[in-house]
Amino acid sequence: MSESSPPIELEEPAGAGIPDQPLELILARNLISIISLAALLVDSDQRIVFYNDAAAEIVGSPFEEIGTLPQEEWNARYGPFDDEGAPVPPDELPLSIAVREGRPAYARLHIRGERGPLEVETGALPLVGPAGYHGAIVIFWVIGDDGAGVG
Amino acid sequence: MRIKLWGVRGSVPVPGEQWEGFGGNTSCVQVTTDDGGEFILDAGTGIRELGQALAGGCKRIHLLLTHLHLDHIQGLTFFAPLFDPEVEVTVWGPPSAGRSLRKRLARYISNPLSPIEIGELPAKVSFEDVPGARWSIDGIEIGAELISHRGVTLGYRLSENGASLAYLPDHEPGLGQSLATSNPRWISGRTLARDASVLLHDGQYTDAEYPARRGWGHSALSDTLTYAQRSEAERLLLFHHDPDHDDARLETLEGEAVERWSGLDGQGAVAMAREGETIQL
Repeated sequence: MSESSPPIELEEPAGAGIPDQPLELILARNLISIISLAALLVDSDQRIVFYNDAAAEIVGSPFEEIGTLPQEEWNARYGPFDDEGAPVPPDELPLSIAVREGRPAYARLHIRGERGPLEVETGALPLVGPAGYHGAIVIFWVIGDDGAGVG
Repeated sequence: MRIKLWGVRGSVPVPGEQWEGFGGNTSCVQVTTDDGGEFILDAGTGIRELGQALAGGCKRIHLLLTHLHLDHIQGLTFFAPLFDPEVEVTVWGPPSAGRSLRKRLARYISNPLSPIEIGELPAKVSFEDVPGARWSIDGIEIGAELISHRGVTLGYRLSENGASLAYLPDHEPGLGQSLATSNPRWISGRTLARDASVLLHDGQYTDAEYPARRGWGHSALSDTLTYAQRSEAERLLLFHHDPDHDDARLETLEGEAVERWSGLDGQGAVAMAREGETIQL
């Protein structure tokens, strides 16, 4: 392989117990991987199974370095927390509501970004296929010091 | 199992001498199990001749529809067993949140598109949404998954006694991603195609044609070859031939596919699917 060739993502070892992803998640990943709005993808077990380059700019590490994360681990790394600095209960996060209840959800909260705390608006869109829930797309919009979005 | 291809063309049937070699009928594949069970994949125009071959001799048929685009259901009202009151036909198809499979098919088998209403079919016909990822009928294991195409579309895998057929006639897995580098778990339909004895897969477009048709739900040749390589299928048959590709064109493309396959270090065999072809597994 030449140095410029993209890496081939190999299959996990046999017995890893990770099923192939449903089409809803595959298509959603393809979509958010090409948009410039920060976005991540959550599966039906509320694991963060992908985030895009714009989200990587915020959290400081590309997805390829971090890989799939349980929600608890994601929260431990990046927050989120409220205006007083208290952790937001996981069940109240938009991604949890979207996956659990199958409806869109929205919140304004704070996260730990690569360059310090950030206030973000976040919305979660449930991915509901014919066979049931398959997770959610979660988008982030960073709020600037003047209250305006900075992307 | 025995596989017979009754229709390998995509989009619209093409009669005429210059298409006779590979065939002009749209998608229809017969799978006969070792115990004589009859399974049919899609009801394109190829199902008409299949129906004539089955008439009078077969009393139980399972028809598995990938999706309801016209080239996959157009032959339904010309399928002789549906007009035999002694025959029991179960039609399986993709799920829908809103309308039953019967109601969706009734849009085609009803006035003004059809002289007969769906409720008037003389055979004992039932309509079933696929029940899940895997189920068994009469000793054959059937896998079904939603795959990347326009609208709700299934791919199928039929397995019996260690042999398997993966059927993904309308499929664009390369839309928005690199099949060569993606994690296999993130490739559409891969569970169905993996290690299949035979992979019947969409290969409608040349690489030159594909950019103007991106998102239409079909694959470029290079994507199909890469997909087969990463699926590690034993044998790839390129399927759903473009109606503008006549025999001469398909012969050329087949040669190109074989050459490129060897360049990819592909392990199995590659060929264009031909109407009338029979494969014993």
